[in-house]
Amino acid sequence: MEHLLETIGRNMFAIFGVMALCGAAFMVAAKSAVHSVLGFLFTMLCVSGCFLALDAEFIGMAQILVYAGGIVVLFLFVVMLVELSKFKEKGVFQLQSRYAVVAVLVGAAAFVAAFKNVIFGASSPEALILRPELAKGLDVAQQNAQAVSRGLFSDYLLPFEILSVILLVALVGAVVLAKTERV
Amino acid sequence: MPTMTLTQTLVMGLLQCVAVLILIFVMVPLLTFAERKVIGYIQVRLGATRTAGGLVGITGALNRGMWAMGKLPVLSILRGLPVFIADILKLILKEDIIPAKAERSVFTLAPIISVMAAFGVFSAIAFFPGVLFTFPAKFPIVGGLPFMGFISDVNVGVLYILGLSSVGVYGIVLGAWASNSKYPLLGGLRSAAQIISYEVPLTLSLLTPVVLAGSLNFKDLSIRLSTGADMHWLGAIPLFVGFLVYTTCGFAETNRTPFDLPEAETELVAGFHTEYSGMKFGFFYLAEYTNMIVVSCFASAFFLGGYYLLPFGLQRLIPASVPFLGQPSILFFFLKVFAILFLFLWVRATLPRYRYDQLMDVGWKWLIPLTLVNLFVAGLIRYAF
Repeated sequence: MEHLLETIGRNMFAIFGVMALCGAAFMVAAKSAVHSVLGFLFTMLCVSGCFLALDAEFIGMAQILVYAGGIVVLFLFVVMLVELSKFKEKGVFQLQSRYAVVAVLVGAAAFVAAFKNVIFGASSPEALILRPELAKGLDVAQQNAQAVSRGLFSDYLLPFEILSVILLVALVGAVVLAKTERV
Repeated sequence: MPTMTLTQTLVMGLLQCVAVLILIFVMVPLLTFAERKVIGYIQVRLGATRTAGGLVGITGALNRGMWAMGKLPVLSILRGLPVFIADILKLILKEDIIPAKAERSVFTLAPIISVMAAFGVFSAIAFFPGVLFTFPAKFPIVGGLPFMGFISDVNVGVLYILGLSSVGVYGIVLGAWASNSKYPLLGGLRSAAQIISYEVPLTLSLLTPVVLAGSLNFKDLSIRLSTGADMHWLGAIPLFVGFLVYTTCGFAETNRTPFDLPEAETELVAGFHTEYSGMKFGFFYLAEYTNMIVVSCFASAFFLGGYYLLPFGLQRLIPASVPFLGQPSILFFFLKVFAILFLFLWVRATLPRYRYDQLMDVGWKWLIPLTLVNLFVAGLIRYAF
């Protein structure tokens, strides 16, 4: 019993990873768009499980909060409102599958080429590396959220703010596009 | 605390989950009974009275004696209590109908998602920050181990609870869509829009205590806020405003009056669960009441002082040396939970329903700016003192 639990605990990342892949496969293969969204939701929850298995609890929870709680709900909203069965009859989606397969293969190859050291290389000895003067009085392995916030609001403040400005630009752009289409 | 082996941790976790489930399954039926009675008395009715304790036995003799003297029996306030047993039996035994044109798999999945999201939240809620009792050594696996007042001590507990409760909206939206019927779909869309809108001020109002106390851990945050450690006494002002906003948003998140537009019976029959029957409907019902308990636990822990007696960080007025009032207690926590649950019932009996545009106005034009200003004030207090 003890041994079994220990093995499961050690392989938590792999378990969640495989589950996430299954969810993604279901999402691609599902006939109905709502089923696809459900598969996507499952994948997102499993990815957050992966983060938790790596002791990155803040990112794991942010994953659930942002993706599962926000973005996928909006997907579901759109999918529910748009009558997708009409598109299915016209075969709009089937036309693209050939190009989609090629795009996925190219993307996967590029991903493996870019991250092959990260995936197959030795893992980093520390979960998160923070400047020693920032990490003062903090148990980095246990207090993940605090460590992330100290890094984010001191060393990485400018990139963080620029990222939020980029998101704002996207938001304003979306509003402008939606407005012009309606008038 | 002795270090536990993995098996012991697992068994202990399961025992705590069972304890929490028992708590939920006791509180929810009692809450429905309280709802009948409280709303009844507020509206000058008697509420549920038809099932009594019986006219035989000791209580029966008492009842008959009182009745003979021309007085209302003592136990009349508890009359109607057995109704919830009938309620549960009805829900379990009723025929479970799935409409012919419904999407079967999603239709079944929706109530499960609702209930799982509602129950899963309890794994990060701390009912008491320490040991409730210790198992005697004669128990097989868990002998000598402490039974804590919380299932797990999550460092980012607040985020976990917010995230998981935001997953709960899928149950409503999917159930509405899978019913393949007009009224449920309308109810589901309303519900999704409402919950997404009110999630913003809800999260922002919870940031006020987080900023003031500087922690995301449920139990840690609650203790810091109520004892007022590292917090200036002015912090009570943004906490109070945050409490008002949080409870308002909590009403909207749990689809309770005056924000119960998703199930507005005059317009939408019953909203998203129109097509549901039997225990599937029971699960939605259970999830709604469990969410009420969750909102109450949150408000109790972060705004009303949690395990300590006085709310809004005023506990420092009572020194810790005072025997009962100065110490943390699970009683204080549940006292506040019950008080807020009563508030839920009180508001339902008092206020009429909002119109849809009013609902959106309140959320976006009033609550969000108010919480932003409140958060700014909290940040100023934190920075200045």
